[in-house]
Order: sequence, then structure tokens, then C-alpha cells
Amino acid sequence: MAASTTTSSVYIHVIEDVITKVREEFVDNGGPGEAVLNELQGIWEMKMMQAGVIVGPIDRSSGQKQAPGGPTPVHDLNVPYEGTEEYETPTADMLFTPTPLQTPMQTPLPAQTPLPGNVQTPLPGTADNSSMYNIPTGNSSEYPTPISDAGGSNGNGDAKTGRPSPYMQPPSPWMQQRPALDVNVAYEEGREEAERAASNQPLTQDFFTMSSGKRKRDDFPPPYNNGGYIPQQDGAGDSPSEPQGGYGNQLPASFFKIPQSDGPIPEPYDDVLSTPNIYNYQGVNEDYNIANTPAPNELQASTPALVQQNDVQDDDEDEPLNEDDDDPDDLDDVDQGEELNTQHLVLAQFDKVTRTKSRWKCTLKDGIMHINNKDILFNKATGEFDF
Amino acid sequence: MATFELYRRSTIGMCLTETLDEMVQSGTLSPELAIQSMTEALETQVKSKVTIKGHLHTYRFCDNVWTFILQDALFKNEETQENVGRVKIVACDSKLLTQ
Repeated sequence: MAASTTTSSVYIHVIEDVITKVREEFVDNGGPGEAVLNELQGIWEMKMMQAGVIVGPIDRSSGQKQAPGGPTPVHDLNVPYEGTEEYETPTADMLFTPTPLQTPMQTPLPAQTPLPGNVQTPLPGTADNSSMYNIPTGNSSEYPTPISDAGGSNGNGDAKTGRPSPYMQPPSPWMQQRPALDVNVAYEEGREEAERAASNQPLTQDFFTMSSGKRKRDDFPPPYNNGGYIPQQDGAGDSPSEPQGGYGNQLPASFFKIPQSDGPIPEPYDDVLSTPNIYNYQGVNEDYNIANTPAPNELQASTPALVQQNDVQDDDEDEPLNEDDDDPDDLDDVDQGEELNTQHLVLAQFDKVTRTKSRWKCTLKDGIMHINNKDILFNKATGEFDF
Repeated sequence: MATFELYRRSTIGMCLTETLDEMVQSGTLSPELAIQSMTEALETQVKSKVTIKGHLHTYRFCDNVWTFILQDALFKNEETQENVGRVKIVACDSKLLTQ
């Protein structure tokens, strides 16, 4: 970015020289007019300052000429350009500063790729309020998940294996990032609940990937809504069922005991996979039962993440293509990769190129070098290369 | 003309091109004028001399254009010196300008 004073002055001179030479074209024969020319100069210089190759203000020509140019009607169309020109020096600074600020903001978001849209939106709105209320449930929902991992590991494993590989990738980062993401999840849940007031289900949806689980749960909810009571009836065949019914009404603690007896019973109703889920439900509360259904949300969240990744890949593919267009000659594939990051380029005219065995010598003139983000100009250059 | 296009990929050339593109798109300039002004773009008043050394990875001479790709190149002038892992040099025949 550093620009030597000589290079900067030369660039300024070139710009002024070009503007001077083109002025007749602009003014005469119904050209666009001098105002447009001044605008051209201003934008050009501004871009050069943004590129970091011109140092300091160049007000001497542009500032004076632009002012008279202002009244021309043509300027109305290009109002934004005038604005920038007036603040030439500050704008350059302004333009530099915002970019770093924005980039950090953007970078963390993509890290959370699956959420970005969802996370941001809920924060400002009423979601905060809802999230406040939801936080306890969200936290409690977190605890059952590890339990489900232990007890229902089979169920989760089956669900993952059943899915195609693309779906596998996004959930895994979630699993790892759980502690950090918990807050975000709570917000999402809050938003989802606000939107989906009808059902409390979305709460745990984020964590559970089981599509099969929710189907089964859909079947379950009605019996469970009746409470742990139904399993008690099932257990009625067993001796403990009757006393549990009485405890269930009085004490919630009895619910924790119930699942043990219920565990074996529900199996006939559904697949083995469902049983671990049942334990979770009974252990916690009705809300969690609903929560398990969320699996679909994860699917939705994961798919956009995949799309974004694909987009990034597409961009990467596009860039080398564009560079190919710029290249006058076909370049080595090796070159294209590095040109993406830093492109060191020397543009010049050659006077003479000679070779003695593997030793090359060349004399160049009137060159523009862009090396290490610096612009260096030379009148003469000699090169000695070993091939 | 060909040699003039050489400099378009330099910083000053790209900035001019961008500016002209914007103004053409906004309707304040016609494409014809943009082309005309571009041909005027590059004349420099430079006295500095540079020496270049490095390992020549690729050389190519096609259509009177030399292209060198150097590895571990060292650029020296009166003020500074720069090391570059890989640099491309594109040079047009200076005789074409004088003709």
C-alpha cells in the first residue's frame, strides 16, 4: 500500500496530462463537457488514492476545477461522485476504515453459517423478550440432549447414518459448538415459538436431528399429554403402576420413577429407537416431549449452510476464469493459483533480450511494477536471470 | 496501440478503466470517448533505473511480447529493494512504439 512520493507524483502528473490532452475532446464538438472531465479526474484520483498508490491530497487541479463544474446539469446524475470528490482526502480514509470494520463483523457470522440469517433477525425484535422466557427451557432442553446421547445414542446414530452424507457435515459442527451456540439456539427457539405459537416443539428441535423420532413422537404426544398416566396404565399389569398413579398426581418426583417401569412397556408401541426418547420425556417434562420434534429445523438450517458453501466454491472457480481473460497469453496453471492472492506484475517494454546458455539478460524501459503492494516505476531496467 | 494496452493492467490503468466504466455506465461518457482517452493514458516521466535478478522459471516470446516468470526475484532501485517469490514480467517490443 505504501506509495513512494516519486511514483505518486508521476501518477498525478500522468492523470493531469491525460486530462489535459483529452480536454479538447470533451469540450469541443458536442463532447460531454469539461464538467464530466473534471469528474473523471476526480474519480480516477480517488481510486488511485484508494489503491494506495497516490499519497495525500491532489486538490490543486481537481478541487478548483470541480467547483465551477458543479452547476452543470450533468452533475445531477452523478451526485454520489461529487459528494466523494468534495471530501477527497477524508473519503479515502473513510473508505479504508469501514472495510476493516465490516470484514470482522462478517467473518464471525459465516462461521455460524447455518444460523446467520436466523440469529441476526431474532436479536433485535421481540424475540429478545421471548428468548428471556425461553432461556430456562432452552437450558433444560440442553441437558436432556446429552442424556439422550447416552441413553438414546442408538437413536441419534441411526438418524445420522440414515441421512445422506451432506446432511452429516453441518450437524457435527453444531455438536462441537454447543456451548457457544446455546445462546443463539435460545434466540432461535424464542423466535420460532413466537412465530409458531401453536406448538412448543421448536425448543429442542435444533439439537435433535432425528426425523424418525419426531414422527414417532407425533404419534406419542396424545398419550403423553394425558400424562405419565397412560404408561402407568400400561404398567397396571405390573404391580407398581397403581401406586405410581397416585404419586403422579401429587408429586412430580414420581414421574422420574415412572419412566423406569415405562421403559420396557412402550417398546411394543414403537421401535426400539423411541424408547430412549421416552426416558427423556418422562425425566423432564411435557415441554421436552414436544421439543424432540424439532428435527426438521436442523434439516432446514443445514441445507442453507450447504448452499453457502457451494456458493463459495463457485466463486473460487470463477476467479481463475476471470484472470484467464485478462491474461494475454496462456499462463501456467501454477501461476493462476497464486495470482488470486498477490499478483506481482511488471509491465514494461523490452529493448533487448539475450541468452548465453542458461543465463538470460534483458534490458527493459518504461516499466510499471506492482510488487508487494507497491507501485514502482522505472525508466530503465536490467534483468539477469538463471533458467 | 498494442503497447498502450500493456499498461492497462497497472494500477493507474485499472483505476482509469474503472472510472471510465462507471461513467460510461452512468451515461456521462460514451464508450468511444473512453477508448480515446485510454490511448492517451500512459506517459511517464521517470528517471529511475531498476535491476532485476532471479531464477527464470518460464520464458515466452509470442507476438513480440516477452513474458518472464521469475522465482525469488530481487528488484533494486535507488531507493529500495524488494524480494518477490514469484513475479511475472510482461514486456512489449519498444521498437513498436517508435515506429
